[in-house]
Amino acid sequence: MSRSSYLKPDTVALHSGYVPESDHGSRAVPVYQTTSYVFESVSDGSSLFNVEQGGHIYSRITNPTVAVLEQRIAALEGGSGAICTASGMSALFTVFITLCSAGDHMISATQIYGSTATLLKHTIKRLGIDCTFIPINDEKALREAIQPNTKMVFCESIGNPGLEIANVPGISTIAHENGIPLVVDATFATPSLCRPIDHGADIVVHSVTKWMGGHGIAIGGAIVDGGQFDWQQSGRFPELTEPYAPFHGIRFWEEFGPSALAMKMRAESMRDVGAAMSPHNAFLILQGIETLNLRMKQHVGNARALLEWLQQQEAVTWTNYPDMESNPSHELAASLFPDGAGSMLCFGVVGGRAGGAAFIDSLQLASNLANVGDARTLVLHPASTTHSRLTVADMQAAGISEDMIRVSVGIEDIADIKSDFKRGFNAAQRVAEAG
Amino acid sequence: MYLDVRGNKTYAATGGKDFDPALPTVMFVHGSGLDHRSWALQTRWFAYNGYSVLAPDLPGHSLSAGKALQSIEDMGAWLADFIRASGAERVHAVGHSQGFLDVLELASQAPGLLKSITGVGTAGAIPVNPALIDAARNSAGDAAEMLLMWGFGPDAQYGISAVPGMQPIAIGRQIMASNPLYEDLVACANYANGGEAAKSIDLPSQMILARKDRLTPLKAGMAFAEALGARVTVIDRYGHMLPIEAPRQTLEKLRELIGSLENGG
Repeated sequence: MSRSSYLKPDTVALHSGYVPESDHGSRAVPVYQTTSYVFESVSDGSSLFNVEQGGHIYSRITNPTVAVLEQRIAALEGGSGAICTASGMSALFTVFITLCSAGDHMISATQIYGSTATLLKHTIKRLGIDCTFIPINDEKALREAIQPNTKMVFCESIGNPGLEIANVPGISTIAHENGIPLVVDATFATPSLCRPIDHGADIVVHSVTKWMGGHGIAIGGAIVDGGQFDWQQSGRFPELTEPYAPFHGIRFWEEFGPSALAMKMRAESMRDVGAAMSPHNAFLILQGIETLNLRMKQHVGNARALLEWLQQQEAVTWTNYPDMESNPSHELAASLFPDGAGSMLCFGVVGGRAGGAAFIDSLQLASNLANVGDARTLVLHPASTTHSRLTVADMQAAGISEDMIRVSVGIEDIADIKSDFKRGFNAAQRVAEAG
Repeated sequence: MYLDVRGNKTYAATGGKDFDPALPTVMFVHGSGLDHRSWALQTRWFAYNGYSVLAPDLPGHSLSAGKALQSIEDMGAWLADFIRASGAERVHAVGHSQGFLDVLELASQAPGLLKSITGVGTAGAIPVNPALIDAARNSAGDAAEMLLMWGFGPDAQYGISAVPGMQPIAIGRQIMASNPLYEDLVACANYANGGEAAKSIDLPSQMILARKDRLTPLKAGMAFAEALGARVTVIDRYGHMLPIEAPRQTLEKLRELIGSLENGG
């Protein structure tokens, strides 16, 4: 059971946020492809602008189709509310600038997605926000990194691409002892496998482009407000507890309590930054979410079967999957992800960098591209693509080696995936033997 | 704003504007385990349309200090102290669920402080299942789950929200689980003076009731409205949590009664 609904997760994925509308009885969620909404009167418009009532004004801020997706994701994660954005990166940016202002500080795990690392190291820094990077799960480093102006701790529940598992309960305990919220990017797991809010996270972020959609046809992001963090008691967030001038001095915490952060993000970031999700993309993501649990079962089953097979292949030099028994994170993964730690796995092939390239270039079924979480199997060489902007040292710190092949295991028949990979290993072997 | 009531720091939402006792004042009283945020979608409208608003957190609830009050009678007396502390002379009192029982007692004990009373999703008595009280004794969170499961109507159970993107069940759970729900439920269960209070009340009154209310069934609310001589509105398809589930309809009915009284109607 989620904290937001008494329906079971499979039912939430199909129904939450929408009941057939009264005008036409549409069973499917309609696409409200509109920029704006007619006010019943001047006074009605005025009260919407002044947050005197809920409703829609302009699709940059809210849209009925997007709202269905938001409410469904909030229910799946067990949050008090959600905001959908144009992409996962804009979701992260929205969280960062809502919690942090110039002169503030945040702490991030080193083992994160390359573009997120770039955002934190360079873009956010230009806005006067500093970020200290620490090894994930290093509690001593976390305690030492906390400063009086620290506004958040950030990690990925499963690191991209190194697949490190964040000890969300442990990290959140230390963060909360210091009045700091924990923000978790849970893209690789989805709420089907782990709900970080249940383990102490305060805010959950997704690139819904990935497994949540699953079809690889729409870009989108989501932010879930867990609603449990006491912004007043923390004392670090006057933006949420003191008067906010653009809305007649509204005090978000006093007025909205458990949904204060989501309301602030809506009122400020969606209005000012405008990284809104399109209603059509929300509709497409909803089609994927309807089958989320079914797909994740197949993703995880295939990932485990492929891992076992890879470990028997002569051309494979090493493998990594979070809950494989030889992995140091096995127990933590089993605890936080009892139904499987996602469908990403990594391995190295013989022949080093050239062998890896030969492997990828010879595949026919799996696609070589910069995405994960598609229903189809995807492969990538991170060192030459997603993490190419990082130095070698930074790559090593992020858990990436030059020979690493990242696999997003799809839901095809596992026999066909193995057959395709066998073709790739033959190519890598030829490179290794020639070299 | 914060007031001193009986020596305790007491929070009252004012709808986003400074409280002005010279303006007609509407006081909103929350239900068991809840707080002023139940009225988020009514208070701001009144505050920005010519009224002053007071939406207190009862003692020991959310932003108010002090121990939870033990009886509805004492809650009614406390509301009288609260109104006096605010500087308001007479208020329109609106109560949701248990909050309306508090208002009934206030009307019975200090009618001179009131201009009208409105009950939302309520009745003249609110019997409480002993199993729920037992649950609340052990865990406010567990009891909150039961109340929210029964309290919200079918749309909210399917994740429908009047505020785009929000999940009212999670919000309610968070608030209820940290408030003195057990004391509130015991006070409700023990309250038997609603009928007598109704006989003594000579104020404009209305009841806004929900057809799908499973905590204070419509039949009980209708019967009490008749005893009180109150005007009645029944809102279809929603459950007990009317101020949150059907905020527009609730606000519309409040505006009708209070507006007509303030405009000489």
